[in-house]
Amino acid sequence: MPMLNPHSVLERVRRDVERNALRARNGIGLATGARPSVGGTPKDVAWRSGRTELWHYRNDDARFAPPLLIVFSLISRSYILDLSPGNSFVERLLKAGFDVWLLDWGVPDERDAQNRLEDYVDEYLPAGIARVLELTGRDQVNLLGYCFGGDLALLHAAHHPHSPLRSITVMATPVDFRHMGPLADVFGVGGLDVADVLDADGNVPPQVVLLGFRTLKPTSEVTRYVDLWERLWDDEYVAAYQAMTAWSDNHVPFPGAAAEEVVQMLVRDNGLVTDRLTVGDDRVHLADVRCPFLTVLANRDHIVPEPAAAPLIELVGAPDKHELRLDAGHIGLVVGKTAARTTIPTIIDFMQQRSEVST
Amino acid sequence: MAQPPLWRRLYDTAERAVSPRLESVVRTEHFARGAALAGRAQAITRTQVAALSARVWHLVNLPTGADIARLRAQIGALDREVRRLALHVEQQQAQHDARTDEKETDGADAQSP
Repeated sequence: MPMLNPHSVLERVRRDVERNALRARNGIGLATGARPSVGGTPKDVAWRSGRTELWHYRNDDARFAPPLLIVFSLISRSYILDLSPGNSFVERLLKAGFDVWLLDWGVPDERDAQNRLEDYVDEYLPAGIARVLELTGRDQVNLLGYCFGGDLALLHAAHHPHSPLRSITVMATPVDFRHMGPLADVFGVGGLDVADVLDADGNVPPQVVLLGFRTLKPTSEVTRYVDLWERLWDDEYVAAYQAMTAWSDNHVPFPGAAAEEVVQMLVRDNGLVTDRLTVGDDRVHLADVRCPFLTVLANRDHIVPEPAAAPLIELVGAPDKHELRLDAGHIGLVVGKTAARTTIPTIIDFMQQRSEVST
Repeated sequence: MAQPPLWRRLYDTAERAVSPRLESVVRTEHFARGAALAGRAQAITRTQVAALSARVWHLVNLPTGADIARLRAQIGALDREVRRLALHVEQQQAQHDARTDEKETDGADAQSP
């Protein structure tokens, strides 16, 4: 049996007592619902229609043109891109000298239940782009889509080949929905109808989406509490935990009509891969996406697994196209160390090469 | 680097053993079909309960949740049409303004010596 060093025993006892005191303090903070503030980078609402808003982040040091327009997903809240000071994707883009705009879809209610994909792809997105051009006096934008926002950006570019896009960057964007896991399989293989899960407001309730994501990693819920207990003494960890769980537990309703389209066209027909896409009444083809293109995918992404995002590079028709595979998870692409070290610098580099220094 | 506490190591061992199995189960066709069946059963139950309560409310000439939902859906459809029209008007206006600007620029160019 190894000899016990009294100093190290005392040190461990002291550390455990300290940590338990901090655990108690942070535990009380969590139980009383104290939340860190998120999405705090200063911004202005430049345009709105229905629940959709176009945000313009303030930047006195915008050095690059054209402006950068971010298109967010339809099922979650966009503040993940602006989580907290020092851990904000948007903040980094601003510091790099970009003029950053974001199309936020808001929280859909019964007025959005009839929204179809064409509403976003053919109406809101072009209107948002037009507003950015009008307010900046530029004639093009760089488009950046995150997760399903990337699909919306791609559908827009494919349906509007003359849209004033300098480049498109998509991150963690699914195209092969056969690999999207249980949530897609229940509707695809299982044959569940979207109508069976609609709420009274005609939208897919956020709980359904959340349940689908939790099923992807059935033990993650328990592990998350185990991790929290172990690190409850660590203020920084607790703040990050609060911000992340508040985001990951708090999805928004998915407009019912758009969900029906997604299930039929993207899940059952696997339309992005099989080239069976219709927007409005028109057939569209990813091969018609011709502007400079970057796709970023994460090899530890459990929400959009690598095989679901990987075929994209071959599907778009852009001659100038690039793929970046990172050792990260879905959220890790935009939040945390990998994002800070690799994702954001690569995206900044890609867009800077396709931008000019503004005068 | 300090080793994690014993309870944590035990949990990690158990998690490593259980998690891959559970993950492979939820990715099977049987699971997808089972979950879909459960979803459908839930929807049928919900519809039947709503129909039953609707009969009761209609007996006393009061609207039901389904009636309200139908109205909300109609208002929603109308709201969408209005939004789309507003966007089209905005777009037309912008195109009209751009054309007017072009004409004015051309006119000024023609007049200049």
